[in-house]
Amino acid sequence: MSIEPFNRLVKLAARAFYDDITTKGDNQPKTGRSDNRGIAVVVLDALTRRQWVREEDLAKNLKLHSKQLRRTLRFLEEEKLITRDHRRETAKGAKIFSAAVAATADGPHHSKEGDEKIKMHTHSYCSLDYAQVYDVVRYRMHRMKKKLKDELEDKNTVQEYICPNCSRRYTALDALRLISFEDEYFHCENCNGELVAESDKLAAVQGVDGDDNVRKRRHEKLKDMLQKMEAQLKPLVEQLSRVKDLPVPEFGTLLAWEARASAAARGINGDLNGNDPSKSSQGYGGTPMPFVGETKVEVAFSGAEGTGVDAKSESENTSLKVLPPWMIKKGMNLTKEQRGEVKDESKTDAGSASAQFSDDKKSLANDDDKTNIQDEYVKAYYAAILKKQQELEEAAKGQQELSSTEVTESVANTNSSRQVGMKAKREEDEDDDIEWEEAPIGGNANENYKVDLNVEASALVEEEEEEDDDVDWEEG
Amino acid sequence: MFFHIVLERNMQLHPRHFGRNLRENLVSKLMKDVEGTCSGRHGFVVAITGIENIGKGLIRDGTGFVTFPVKYQCVVFRPFKGEILEAVVTMVNKMGFFAEAGPVQIFVSNHLIPDDMEFQSGDVPNYTTSDGSVKIQKDSEVRLKIIGTRVDATEIFCIGTIKDDFLGVINDPSAA
Ligand SMILES: [Zn+2]
Repeated sequence: MSIEPFNRLVKLAARAFYDDITTKGDNQPKTGRSDNRGIAVVVLDALTRRQWVREEDLAKNLKLHSKQLRRTLRFLEEEKLITRDHRRETAKGAKIFSAAVAATADGPHHSKEGDEKIKMHTHSYCSLDYAQVYDVVRYRMHRMKKKLKDELEDKNTVQEYICPNCSRRYTALDALRLISFEDEYFHCENCNGELVAESDKLAAVQGVDGDDNVRKRRHEKLKDMLQKMEAQLKPLVEQLSRVKDLPVPEFGTLLAWEARASAAARGINGDLNGNDPSKSSQGYGGTPMPFVGETKVEVAFSGAEGTGVDAKSESENTSLKVLPPWMIKKGMNLTKEQRGEVKDESKTDAGSASAQFSDDKKSLANDDDKTNIQDEYVKAYYAAILKKQQELEEAAKGQQELSSTEVTESVANTNSSRQVGMKAKREEDEDDDIEWEEAPIGGNANENYKVDLNVEASALVEEEEEEDDDVDWEEG
Repeated sequence: MFFHIVLERNMQLHPRHFGRNLRENLVSKLMKDVEGTCSGRHGFVVAITGIENIGKGLIRDGTGFVTFPVKYQCVVFRPFKGEILEAVVTMVNKMGFFAEAGPVQIFVSNHLIPDDMEFQSGDVPNYTTSDGSVKIQKDSEVRLKIIGTRVDATEIFCIGTIKDDFLGVINDPSAA
């Protein structure tokens, strides 16, 4: 899906039809300063570099007054070139959008996290509607041409008739009264003379009078206009035909677009389950969309999905969805694949965890890897938990197989001893993580976001630990 | 274009119609009076579809007639400029041809007939293309576009064109 030909179409159409559009009312004085002709072109051009954009942000970027911009946008909406969406939202809701837009075009980077106002504001968003732009431009050209041609060919004009005797004029609308049943001609109501169609008058009455001269001149002018139009709009026509068979870029509704944008952002980082990578990365004209913003939910999700994909890439593809390790508990009815997959993965993952970390360290300067890092972090963490769980399972199994008469005390003992070992190991992991988490802070402007992540993550760790412990102890 | 609208009319009823069939008499008289008439404002009344309300009758001084205000629903047909209609040709002459779409009369002047159609006089005057493949004569069915209307208080007359895409003969009676 290529957006470039369509953007060119928008730009050409803007210059052809919206060049001299001014949004000022006619009653306002037109001084040099207040003359804002061409504003529609500027706004349309700006929109070709964006997808959905909040109108405030657009105004800021274009250094326009938001009122002026809104007036222009309303005009463009009426012209069916853009779609707009208005919704009431909190400051937080607006941020979700900012996160989605962060990497498209020159969307603003919101770094403020602290001021979460509960206040609701109505925000307006707008985007180009390429499918409609294509139709509107074609329709407009069709109408222009048709109008000129119709005038040229005297179409849709009411035929006039004139009485050669008394010069009384009639129109075709009088036809019913004029028709005579003696012959097939119209007759004058006044003198019963045979009426002549006005265009034939030249033949009927010798000599050219002024009226006909005007008509002839007008005819010439129309022809001239038609020719000029065809010449001047040629680039536009060519662009239209170029675009004709291309799939039209669609952003969808604001909500759908937001959802897709954040999904794509995750897709780039974690390449989440089975998403066609070409779809997620090229969906927006090839612009990569790192996800910078809210982390709370994303961490858990991308982590879970990240491991899932890892499992896929490391072993063969299975249709069964691999359960996130923290979901696997004793007593769950799992298939071999689900469990085996996870085990496989946990081994390789744990083995390569440190290697991955060092890899990541190299690329830390890259902003795009932020979520990657988060993913790795969580992945490593899960791997550790899983390994522990697995060992516990094996231990328990071994114990049970050894002899059923064995006292549970010993089981508890081994369990606890292993538990301790594991805990130490996990703490190592945690230390590791914190180390490399600190690195990006130096290079990154929005620290609070990083800090936030850590808090979140460690909270998560603690929670999960407790959960795991509970299970294990009950079992022993 | 057809519309389904509610109209009101004061009906005068002779006393001989009074009795238990008063309502039926009133409605049948309404149908006889109204259906097929034309008002410039609403167009042609095609059919009455229902009675909304019959008001209290008022005896007129000096006569035994009673006036009932009747509200009724009806389908009306009102032609508009730019509307596409299918019509039956009623008369062809050198100046063009006349056609009817239901109650509406339409005149198509010869300069709004495609240039490749020539008038042929004779027993059955007609407009025919040079290769004779298309012929407009009496009883031909044509699709035309209304380009002008003349609306009087009790009459609507239209002029149309067949000089545009997808207009012209849609059914040739001589071919059938
Ligand atoms: Zn005369």
